[in-house]
Amino acid sequence: MITIENLVKRRGSKEILTGISFQGRPGRVTGFLGPNGAGKSSTLRILLGLDRATSGTALIGSVPFVWLPDPLRTVGAMLDGSGAHRARTGQAHLRWVARSAGLPRARVDEVLEIVGLTNAASKRVGSYSMGMGRRLGLATALLGDPEILILDEPVNGLDPDGIRWMRTFLRERAASGRTVLLSSHLMGELAETVDDVVIINEGKVMADGTLDEVTGSYRTLEDAFFALTTGGSL
Amino acid sequence: MRTLAAEASKLASLPSVWIALAAGVLVPSVIAGITASATLGAITRGAKTLAGVDTGYQELAFGVVGVIILGVVGISSEYFTESAESGGGRQVTTSLTAVPSRLRFLLAKISTIAITSALLAITAAATTMGVVQVVLGERAPALGADDVPRLVGVVCYWVYTALLAFGITVLTRHGVIPLAVLIANTSVVTVTYLLTKITPLANYLPDMAGVRMFIRKLADNTVEISPLTGGLVMTAWVTVLLVIAAIAFTRRDA
Repeated sequence: MITIENLVKRRGSKEILTGISFQGRPGRVTGFLGPNGAGKSSTLRILLGLDRATSGTALIGSVPFVWLPDPLRTVGAMLDGSGAHRARTGQAHLRWVARSAGLPRARVDEVLEIVGLTNAASKRVGSYSMGMGRRLGLATALLGDPEILILDEPVNGLDPDGIRWMRTFLRERAASGRTVLLSSHLMGELAETVDDVVIINEGKVMADGTLDEVTGSYRTLEDAFFALTTGGSL
Repeated sequence: MRTLAAEASKLASLPSVWIALAAGVLVPSVIAGITASATLGAITRGAKTLAGVDTGYQELAFGVVGVIILGVVGISSEYFTESAESGGGRQVTTSLTAVPSRLRFLLAKISTIAITSALLAITAAATTMGVVQVVLGERAPALGADDVPRLVGVVCYWVYTALLAFGITVLTRHGVIPLAVLIANTSVVTVTYLLTKITPLANYLPDMAGVRMFIRKLADNTVEISPLTGGLVMTAWVTVLLVIAAIAFTRRDA
């Protein structure tokens, strides 16, 4: 369970997040949607302990992420790009991450297989396409076979095949009782993937509910999104 | 321990670290080879009678370029940003989601860099002194018990230099400027050395004080600093810098 409560983040005089609250529940894919610059990444970075909130709390289970005794086995995270240094090979990147959590080397080969990067494992990350980089990021998130996945724009840079694959993959994770929280600015790609939707704009939550509740009387999630983020109301 | 293993694995899989290690061994050894053969020429011509007391040590003082690269890339690689087309990610986000305790992460990095620098210094000192002995033969200054504390001084100097480079780069989060400034200072434009011409206080700058641990005669310098004092002064600089770096690193957004 992910619980975000009243998160406020100020940078200089600018308030990037103005009291964000929502939850990510087990067994469900929660879509955290909003236009670029709405505060999605900032929220996820605070949730992962990378940035500090001005006020409010972001908890994994009942503790902040930084208190987790074995973070990699509890939460798998994917933020911008691959999260790897370009001069290293994909395999070398996964190996150091595995080592930091005391995971066996064999697990590296398993996650490479899951994301379909086995053949590119010994190539340098700098030579990867964006889609391959995202797959490596996902492989990193999956290393500890975590209960919770937190993915920032997971379908960005993926080809149609990859998007389809990601959708199926995330649905399966949720079906096995795990928690998936993903952010995106692409509505069309996500309507078929998410159970719950949180829409954010300019640092404020505009709507929060099941896919049906948020879509409401609109024809599609996309219509609802544009109505909510360009001044309309639900 | 796991964090330390992960940091060691990171260093070992970074090509620029291998360049740093190669530079660390080659730079002092090659310079020592060149100066030793020049000295040998001078001795056979009768212009000189003995190789200087700092033969080999002088080169080890200049040879810190390897540990400077090591200290800088050890942390700048975390902040290296991918191209926008690749998503603009940085490794530090992966590192800190794997090891959320910033202090533990930083201590593991400091330990790996210190250990690697110490091993590199030992290797470089052995090859440099080896080259001196081979080139100068019986005219080489004999290595004796006196050299043990001096060689320990070399190892300390290298480790401290790596940690200074590391600490500065933690603050800048970017490798190019610290790398350029620090390497220039050991080779092309030795700012700290030139400062000693202006004020004797500059002898207490970290590198100028640190070399006293093993260099016996600094050219045109009359300020006396004992090896122990020099070592303590450099220790103080490194400690203060690392504390500032740790405070900044644990407080700011990654």
